[in-house]
Amino acid sequence: MSVIKAEKIKKIYQETAVPVHALNGVDITIEAGEFTAIVGPSGCGKTTLLNILGGLDHPTEGKVVIDNTNITDMKDSKLIDFRLQNIGFVFQAYNLIPVLTSKENVEFIMLLQKKDKAERDKRAMSLLEEMGIADKANQRPSELSGGQQQRVAVARALASKPKVILADEPTANLDSKSTENLLDMMAQLNKEESATFVFSTHDQRVIDKAKRIVTLEDGVIISDVSK
Amino acid sequence: MLLKIAWKNVWRSRGRSLVVIGAIVVGVWALLFGTGFMNGFLVGYMSNIINNDISNIQIHNPEFKKDFDVKYSIENGKEKTEEIRTWEGVKGATTRTIVSGMISSPKKASGVQIRGIDKENESIVTSLDSIIHEGTYFEGVKRNPVIIGSKLAENLKVKLKSKVVLTFNDGEGNITAGAFRVVGIVKSSSLAISEMYAFVLQDDLTSLIGLGDQVHEIAVIIDPQVEESVIIDKYKSTFNGDTAESWREIAPELAMMDEMYGSMLYVLMGIILTALIFGIVNTMLMAVLERIRELGMLMAIGMNKARVYFMILIETIFLGIVGAPIGLLVGWLTIKYYNVYGVDLSNYSEGLESFGYESILYPYLESNVYFIVTIGVIITAVLGALYPAWKAIKLNPVEALHKI
Repeated sequence: MSVIKAEKIKKIYQETAVPVHALNGVDITIEAGEFTAIVGPSGCGKTTLLNILGGLDHPTEGKVVIDNTNITDMKDSKLIDFRLQNIGFVFQAYNLIPVLTSKENVEFIMLLQKKDKAERDKRAMSLLEEMGIADKANQRPSELSGGQQQRVAVARALASKPKVILADEPTANLDSKSTENLLDMMAQLNKEESATFVFSTHDQRVIDKAKRIVTLEDGVIISDVSK
Repeated sequence: MLLKIAWKNVWRSRGRSLVVIGAIVVGVWALLFGTGFMNGFLVGYMSNIINNDISNIQIHNPEFKKDFDVKYSIENGKEKTEEIRTWEGVKGATTRTIVSGMISSPKKASGVQIRGIDKENESIVTSLDSIIHEGTYFEGVKRNPVIIGSKLAENLKVKLKSKVVLTFNDGEGNITAGAFRVVGIVKSSSLAISEMYAFVLQDDLTSLIGLGDQVHEIAVIIDPQVEESVIIDKYKSTFNGDTAESWREIAPELAMMDEMYGSMLYVLMGIILTALIFGIVNTMLMAVLERIRELGMLMAIGMNKARVYFMILIETIFLGIVGAPIGLLVGWLTIKYYNVYGVDLSNYSEGLESFGYESILYPYLESNVYFIVTIGVIITAVLGALYPAWKAIKLNPVEALHKI
């Protein structure tokens, strides 16, 4: 069953003096439970594609359907709510809320979903345990290492029970050990909970772990290989 | 949790928040003290004139005030005054015989309003006895005592016990004069009392006028909680033919000042709070611009624009909620202190007194002013937050997330 179905996606940035064609007709389908890496050189359109697949940006042309909902022309205000209920994000720079503790950061997204306190507490703690950082529940991001912060970010992305988790260069700021740990945990979540992950990356360690590798170049998919 | 985030965000940049909170404290304090100070100025000036000079209500023969002709007296003035004193809400009432004339000393002469007063009741109505600066309140001089103001005494170059001559037209229109001896000198910030009045005993004056037991003016002082109109209406319905006026009609400039005070609070509040808005906008704009990536992330993960807007709004209101009570407390304490000990402006007393102001001011504020200021600060905080919050929700999550 497909979670994301994107057809003939084009993205042209008109703001610059010379229009930039970031994506030139991309067709991609992400099935439930996939562990996919979108790879390619810098500027090939990985992040743009991820943003469009996650409803953060609108394509200039083409269609994006997530879980049978066409989000292509959805209004921004509706898209925010759609993202809240359906998409989990992991960012390169972790982007946690600095004034909240790890547990509160994980809880926050469930608060936006109006989940009750007991459910929030239970799920936040269980996710932090799964990520191996339950003992850091009451610590703020500034008191955690980069690897620990990214694990909190993954826990936060999972907290809303999204259909898919989109991770933009999640290991770019991590050392090799933290990268290894994070990838192992995400692979485990993918295997045990059938969580669907899509990464944009040029980190070979991520590519090695991925089950499917989609390679972009100049805004088009040049290869799509499943292991 | 939104409240918690907003509260914690306030303290992310402690120094900057403290500067804004400090500005709010100083603004609120300045607003309260400034209003209290002006209030003290005006109310002191007004109550001085009402309580020591014109009283709450004055009653005259309708013709008398046209040119102060002695023949236009109030019919049965003393009997009417007796009755007024029995009315509920009336603190005191007194009669006066008034004639315009001249006062002359061996060295100088000056135009003056000669006021023949009922010694006992005048002290109840205008507290004339309490502002005697030198001498006594009609004691110690058996024949024709006169009390004059300090400025008049200075002009005439007279002292206590000096002889002065009062000259005026009698009831027949003939010029008459009487020799009086200065028994007391009063000091008041009221220009009329200080320079323009000569107070004599009513019987001494009426015998010189020669038209019998004449009353030209009834002055009434009432309880503060009673409206002048109530007593005036009662007078009009009880007695016909006289003109009864409240202090607002007698001294319209005072009524204007009273109204001006009401609007002054809002003018002062407008000026101070407008200045405060700029400080708040600046701070909150910096807080938003510093957190562009974080705000982008919040919108990316699903925090809708209304919530982002509300969060910025709450942060700003928190700044006001912390600053306003401190400012209110400091303002209240300052007003309380100076209300007891007064603000000593004696260095400027000469200038102030020449305009009829006291040289020691007692600022005071009515309790509703604190409420109005609190509401004003909250509105200011909300207004100050509108632009930064609007800036925040206008962010594009994709661009914001990639902001360095």
